[in-house]
Amino acid sequence: MSSFTKSAQQWASFARSWFLIDARMQPPGKIATMCSVRLQGKHKPIYHALSDCGDHVVIMNTRHIAFSGNKWEQKVYSSHTGFPGGFKQVTAAQLHHKDPTAIIKLAVYGMLPRNLHRRTMMQRLHLFPDDVLPDDVLQNLTEELPQPRAVPRKLSEYTQEERDAFPMLWTPPEDYRMK
Amino acid sequence: MTSRGTPSRFLQSVLQNGVGRYVCQLKRISLIFSKKAQSSLGVREYIEEGVVDFAKKNPGTVVYVSPQSCRIPKIVAEYLNGNVREEIVTAKPSREVAALVQKLSEQSGLDIIRIRKPFHTSSPSVQGQWHPFTNRPPSIGPIKPQDSQAQ
Repeated sequence: MSSFTKSAQQWASFARSWFLIDARMQPPGKIATMCSVRLQGKHKPIYHALSDCGDHVVIMNTRHIAFSGNKWEQKVYSSHTGFPGGFKQVTAAQLHHKDPTAIIKLAVYGMLPRNLHRRTMMQRLHLFPDDVLPDDVLQNLTEELPQPRAVPRKLSEYTQEERDAFPMLWTPPEDYRMK
Repeated sequence: MTSRGTPSRFLQSVLQNGVGRYVCQLKRISLIFSKKAQSSLGVREYIEEGVVDFAKKNPGTVVYVSPQSCRIPKIVAEYLNGNVREEIVTAKPSREVAALVQKLSEQSGLDIIRIRKPFHTSSPSVQGQWHPFTNRPPSIGPIKPQDSQAQ
């Protein structure tokens, strides 16, 4: 049996957690899936659709997300201003250049249920383009979520010894011209 | 007939689901009876025997004893949330009147109607209720981004 009093237990059960996600080199869709579950509170055993038990999610490094394939050029974000001829289409790269948080924001917004809680849940999503977080956000954090994709190391991050120890598939001849 | 047409409410509690402390919700109770009528015999007996004890035990409740020329004796209970309940006590013995007064003082004053989603368990968890830190790996110090942890 827990040693809480009943009122402390009540506050503890319905307290909002703050999750931190590092979006560096992560696909936006994977990040958005993790976010939408937590913003709705569906990861909790006490989840109920009417009880508004969503958590806060902080995403940092949204400037450094990684799309796979040709999505930076091919993926198109469309909007309409409402005026005649106001149909705007920008590619993911253009949108990301204009607002480094917009792609993640749109991805999460699209994954939330289409109901009246949607805007409320979006207000609990905190996006930061870099790894600089304000102090009031840092103090609230309760858990950092693991990244959905393993970040590959760049060649420049390997030491010279590791590069030398890498097995060679074939031994180039003496007179081989490396371009 | 299905129960869909009947009035209903969600389960609620004046105790704020265990967060608040106990406050007796009965604000005022009036015993309306007749001095002469046969039907008020039990109420008159209760007033002689038990009503003073009840008023002493419940200092938060105002007890009115009002003799009127009425055939049907009543108990009118008013609650903190504004609800008023009238109970007819015609020809009831004093024992039943005492039980009814005790029951009214223990009720919350919320309407007694069908409850939607009556979640209930007869075997409450022995591990304690869930909270956000159950089954979560412990961490030392405040949570920080990985980069600043490495420094």
